[in-house]
Amino acid sequence: MKFDNIIIGGGLSGLTCGIKLAEQGKKCAIVSSGQSAIHFFSGSFDLLGKLNGQEVKNPLEAIKTLPDAHPYQRVGIKNIARLAVEAPQLLDRAGLQFSGKSDQNHFVLTPMGIMKPTWLTIDDFTRFEQNDVFPWKKAVILNFSGFLDFHTLFVQDGLKKYDVDVQIKNFAMKEFEAIRRNPSEMRSTNIAKVFDQGEDVLNEFAQKVNQLSEGFEVVILPAVFGLFTKNVVTDLKSMINKPLVLIPAIPPSVPGIRSQILLRKRFEELGGTYFLGDIVEEGTFKNNRLVAVQTNNHGNIKLEADQFVLASGSFYSKGIVATRDKLYEPILGLDIDGDIDSEKWLDEKFFNDQPYMHYGVKTDSGFRALKNGKPIENLFAAGSVLGGANALKEGSGAGISLLTSLHVAEQILK
Amino acid sequence: MKKEIFEPFNSSDNNFEQCVKCTICTVYCPVLEVNPDYPGPKQSGPDGERLRLKDPNFFDESLKLCLNCKRCEVACPHGVKIGDIIQLARIKYSKKKPKVRDMILANTDIVGTMASTFAPIVNPIVALKPVRLIMDGVLKIDHHRIFPKYAGMRFETWYRRYAASKQNDFKKHVSYFHGCYVNYNFPKQGKDLIKIMNAAGYGVHLLEKEKCCGVALISNNLIKQATKQARHNVEAFKKSIVDKNMPVISTSSTCIFTIRDEYPHLLGVKNDEIRDKSELATRFLFRLIDSGKLKLVFKKDYRKRIAYHTPCHMEKLGWSIYSTALLKMIPGIDFVSLESRCCGIAGTYGFKKENYKTSQGVGKPLFDQIESSDVDFVATDCETCKWQIEMSTAKKVEHPISILAEALDVEATVKLWQK
Amino acid sequence: MNKNISKEYDVIIIGGGVTGAGTARDCAMRGLSVLLVERHDFATGATGRNHGLLHSGARYAVTDHESAAECIKENMILRRIANHCVEENDGLFITLPEDDIAFQSQFVDACKTAGIGTEILDPDFARRIEPSVNPDLIGAVKVPDGSVDPFRLTMSNALDARIHGAVLLTQHEVKGIVKEQDRAIGVELFNHETKQNVNYYGKIIVNAGGIWGHHIAKLAGVNINMFPAKGSLLIFGHRVNKMVINRCRKPSNADILVPGDTICLIGTTSERIPYDQIDNMFVSRQDVDVLIREGVKLSPTLATTRILRAYAGVRPLVAADNDPSGRSISRGIVLLDHQERDGLSGFITITGGKLMTYRLMAEEATDLICKKLAVDKQCETAEKSLPGAEKSEHPLSIATEKVYTGANISQKSAKDRHGTLAKNILNGDDYEDSLVCECEGVSIAEVKYAINELHVNNLIDLRRRTRVGMGTCQGELCACRAAGLLCESFEKPGKAKDDLANFLQERWKGMLPITWGEGINEIQFTSWIYEGIYGLKPDNN
Ligand SMILES: Cc1cc2nc3c(=O)[nH]c(=O)nc-3n(C[C@H](O)[C@H](O)[C@H](O)COP(=O)(O)OP(=O)(O)OC[C@H]3O[C@@H](n4cnc5c(N)ncnc54)[C@H](O)[C@@H]3O)c2cc1C
Ligand SMILES: Cc1cc2nc3c(=O)[nH]c(=O)nc-3n(C[C@H](O)[C@H](O)[C@H](O)COP(=O)(O)OP(=O)(O)OC[C@H]3O[C@@H](n4cnc5c(N)ncnc54)[C@H](O)[C@@H]3O)c2cc1C
Ligand code: SF4
Ligand code: SF4
Repeated sequence: MKFDNIIIGGGLSGLTCGIKLAEQGKKCAIVSSGQSAIHFFSGSFDLLGKLNGQEVKNPLEAIKTLPDAHPYQRVGIKNIARLAVEAPQLLDRAGLQFSGKSDQNHFVLTPMGIMKPTWLTIDDFTRFEQNDVFPWKKAVILNFSGFLDFHTLFVQDGLKKYDVDVQIKNFAMKEFEAIRRNPSEMRSTNIAKVFDQGEDVLNEFAQKVNQLSEGFEVVILPAVFGLFTKNVVTDLKSMINKPLVLIPAIPPSVPGIRSQILLRKRFEELGGTYFLGDIVEEGTFKNNRLVAVQTNNHGNIKLEADQFVLASGSFYSKGIVATRDKLYEPILGLDIDGDIDSEKWLDEKFFNDQPYMHYGVKTDSGFRALKNGKPIENLFAAGSVLGGANALKEGSGAGISLLTSLHVAEQILK
Repeated sequence: MKKEIFEPFNSSDNNFEQCVKCTICTVYCPVLEVNPDYPGPKQSGPDGERLRLKDPNFFDESLKLCLNCKRCEVACPHGVKIGDIIQLARIKYSKKKPKVRDMILANTDIVGTMASTFAPIVNPIVALKPVRLIMDGVLKIDHHRIFPKYAGMRFETWYRRYAASKQNDFKKHVSYFHGCYVNYNFPKQGKDLIKIMNAAGYGVHLLEKEKCCGVALISNNLIKQATKQARHNVEAFKKSIVDKNMPVISTSSTCIFTIRDEYPHLLGVKNDEIRDKSELATRFLFRLIDSGKLKLVFKKDYRKRIAYHTPCHMEKLGWSIYSTALLKMIPGIDFVSLESRCCGIAGTYGFKKENYKTSQGVGKPLFDQIESSDVDFVATDCETCKWQIEMSTAKKVEHPISILAEALDVEATVKLWQK
Repeated sequence: MNKNISKEYDVIIIGGGVTGAGTARDCAMRGLSVLLVERHDFATGATGRNHGLLHSGARYAVTDHESAAECIKENMILRRIANHCVEENDGLFITLPEDDIAFQSQFVDACKTAGIGTEILDPDFARRIEPSVNPDLIGAVKVPDGSVDPFRLTMSNALDARIHGAVLLTQHEVKGIVKEQDRAIGVELFNHETKQNVNYYGKIIVNAGGIWGHHIAKLAGVNINMFPAKGSLLIFGHRVNKMVINRCRKPSNADILVPGDTICLIGTTSERIPYDQIDNMFVSRQDVDVLIREGVKLSPTLATTRILRAYAGVRPLVAADNDPSGRSISRGIVLLDHQERDGLSGFITITGGKLMTYRLMAEEATDLICKKLAVDKQCETAEKSLPGAEKSEHPLSIATEKVYTGANISQKSAKDRHGTLAKNILNGDDYEDSLVCECEGVSIAEVKYAINELHVNNLIDLRRRTRVGMGTCQGELCACRAAGLLCESFEKPGKAKDDLANFLQERWKGMLPITWGEGINEIQFTSWIYEGIYGLKPDNN
């Protein structure tokens, strides 16, 4: 089976890379062994939140001081500035409205009630321009009774700092009795499915919210709205007679799954082929080029392409694998940027900068993956499979994924 | 007499430990969405397996609500064989004996043999309302269900009488695993396959003796019999694939999926020697075309608007691309792709009275899509999906092979390779 | 006598391990007024860091006849009085091709002498009844080994002590022994919660501080020669084996695989460590290697089974009084009457022994206390069941089955963990049944019960009571849910968040030596959730 480009991994980087290529008329396929990290995302994409432990105000400025090996430096500061404008536009074309500026972080409220700096936030959530101001003085937090994945007390505690009078109210609705019957299934996605299924539930819910929030300036709710359709969030906002602040619940994340679905849909509408649940097992190399990959489902019908992109994620997605004493890239046996000595992988403090978080596939300056020290001409790496940064500590997860993937797409389109 | 000891095959090869508890699978389980009595893939699968290993009493009979659609497996980022774990748990721990009704539903070939012999009598009888009510009341087969009609002449009989002799005229050969549905209910599909394969230059042969693939036996927990049939089929496949170097193709996604994956995973029947050479006819054809060995020529006047429904097992196999690619080759086709969703029937599952509501609830989003798609008919590779969609929507359903056969210009196609 | 005593207890027991809890129970049952003080939480010493093997005694049959006989006797008693803490799994002693099969008959004879029932099995049969066993085995002997849950056992004893009037103080560390001339009359405590000092007084002070007893004795001005022996273990992600698997040879490193609850444990290594290292329980890579290498010989599937954690504990070995070098170590029960030994009255030490001989240790200590206090009351701990293990008219299997039918996972798990006390857990309601911990089946009701009834101060305590966070995900999803519930009960959200961070650090400590494969995937995921999405910090949240 022949395509122009094949992308291994269908997460944020694989999909955005594929969309950009397909928008330029390329015949693309994405092979993804399962669903991706977008399913867990908080609702915000980070560009650079922290540098040396300090919160970053202007990511574009701060990026300049990052070490040379950092993926952002390799993309180039100028490119970053340009692609950072392009990224939300691409998302927008997929039906995902994100807003934020790359030269000034805004803040979002986390489930711990903490203000966290970020770059782009999906319009389900509320953007705060300053981390020391909560614009309302009287807030009510509402929760579905028995929903353990949203921590009202933590949020309340966090808001104390801002001098807000916060009350917590739990409420029950008969529509949720059914999911509660199952001890493990009172989850955000299942609540969202109930709202997806009928307008009546949403109406009743909105009424209840309006009643319970009388006398308050703002309503805080867990983000459990609009799994398969976004309308639920917009409808709800229009039905509630005051501002609504949503806060992420324990993953999987409802807006995250919706984002994944919409990105995939956009890719497929552009003519892309998305193979879900299939694993790329190995590749055929010829003269320093990758000519075809073999997958579990397609077996001896190999997938061929002119260029390949490896966007198979970090450890979590099995893009990088660690065994007892070996660190490797499991699909194509690419070179790894990481410590050989397994004693050095981990730090004994959970919250410290964990070395393994920096590990990834080695590339040349043009993001061509290296194998045995030599770059493979037509194989690019993008997203969290790349090494050179601790995206968690920096707050640069989605930024690296989005911008390296768009950059790689540009290399291919050149 | 010494009683035959049957020990269920134990394949809990630690795979369930790959689960990182991300909970993604539960988002995509169609049953969980409509039936809260089902504990869901995570709890029934990897979580439950740990508890069952601690104490078999943790087995929960409600695991039978799993459709075995494997959509959870497709979604899982960590390769956990959730569906297999659940089915194996049922095999290992269920204490409930299959009911008479389950045996009837499960033995598609025996019932089929009887029914097709008496087709003129059986068809009107099972279609009669009072009879359906009895089936509902006594056998707990839901009265909304219409049994697929039994054909008068079995496919095998037809083949021997009218097709067998011509097959040796070809230079290249394949074997055909037709499955129960083609044999008893819908021989036309088998005839269509022979038409296409012959046009492609292949002689089509039947296996020495095929038995029902056993998928319904597995889902109704008649494991001993399923294992027997599986062993039989693997031997029959070997005779074709290993001895005669003839690949085996099939038109049923469920049969081929069962033979390739469920035999080794659920029944412990090894199939290494035959697995790679057992596939769907559409995949076989796609490969020939993709590698330039075959060209199909289609009629100029064929015009249809068609929606393709991806059966769960095709989703798991990842093979719907072959069927859709072939369909898209037909110039006159206006192709609509449906969002991949379970239809809810899952073989005999939806026929059981206690499952009717769940089954229709699962399928509803798909039915709605189909009803609003404005197509001439729906194409799909699975026979039970066909029943379900035809029972639940106003649209007719055709197998891609039948559509190809209909649209194919046989003479022009043959000419291309005869030159 | 000291004048400002608000209340004088008959007995003050130092140490909330199984020995301390068992002694508290025995004393309380004999009508004494009891105060138990523990510096952290119940079962945080050796009791919470051992192998959980309910020895049949077979392991010691050849080398230590006395211990073997003690074990089998206590084994049978615990099956009766603590059936909800015990799994009657039976054990296999297997001979591998590299072992000497001649040892088997010597072993069987020794068991017989000690009163331990044995059954020599055909290797084929052994493979059938224990499919995970190394298929190369050339001999197998079945013995009445079992598994015992040390957390539950300790807690049940503590609970029963409380039922009989004992006062239990956790988070209270003994910083000094109050003495009046050559008599110990009380303890100086530091309360870790309130950061305050407080004294309590009693007629007899019992040092049940395990290996820390060495230090506690020093506080009283007496000397016990203790030699800490560290043992490391690995926890595997699920139960690979149904029966305990031992090697039929002289006891050695990593030669027992014990199934317990949802997991199984391979252990142990054995290494003398300096006394100043007893609070630094670090498992080295080398230990991990030995454990895996030897474990695979017992059950080859361990090679591909996920390892959840590694941990180590210290055995309180006491050197005989006439041997300061520590060469002649007693493995049996050590009961020291410091009045006789050192001329310090009102102070006794009970240590040594094993988890499963705790009851006998408690009995011996209590007998001595009663003698000193001139109380004439017989020990009843061998007859009276622990709370949760009360006799029902049905044998255990039928009784559990009865509870199980139609029950959901929350109810089944609660019954599994708390025995008949599960009746006090409010399961049965949709809300209460909701799962907090999905891996181990811990419901809201069970968490609440533990918080209200079982002396829970923080998430880590909660884990010991309920298994929250002990499953495959090591707290990835449940820790936060449980923290939310704790927060509701204690109403200190700031503390609850720090507590959550501590919990994650505590879990990480045990994962560190074995984090690779799925483990590293999972921990990266966990980090992203807590640090990335939640913004949790290590402290001062
Ligand atoms: C729990 C969690 C929450 C996060 N939240 C945020 C957030 O809120 N904001 C933020 O900025 N960043 C967040 N991140 C960081 C995140 O890693 C990036 O934002 C981004 O989603 C990574 O995208 P990716 O496409 O590089 O990799 P992934 O999303 O990991 O995708 C990799 C894909 O490759 C597939 N794959 C792997 N191997 C194969 C193979 N052999 N064959 C075929 N397919 C394969 C996998 O199945 C997976 O779908 C989060 C990460 C995690 C783990
Ligand atoms: C690796 C290993 C494996 C083992 N396996 C088994 C087995 O399989 N079966 C078996 O039967 N036995 C086994 N044992 C032995 C068993 O664990 C111990 O014998 C038993 O737990 C000792 O209990 P204890 O209460 O005496 O001591 P501990 O459990 O150590 O209790 C002492 C308590 O005192 C507290 N304390 C200390 N200092 C102070 C202070 N200053 N103030 C207040 N409190 C204080 C500590 O916090 C601790 O909780 C094993 C031991 C080890 C190390
Ligand atoms: S999707 Fe896979 S890894 Fe995630 S919870 Fe389900 S089985 Fe586990
Ligand atoms: S196989 Fe299908 S029905 Fe069964 S658990 Fe998985 S998704 Fe649900």
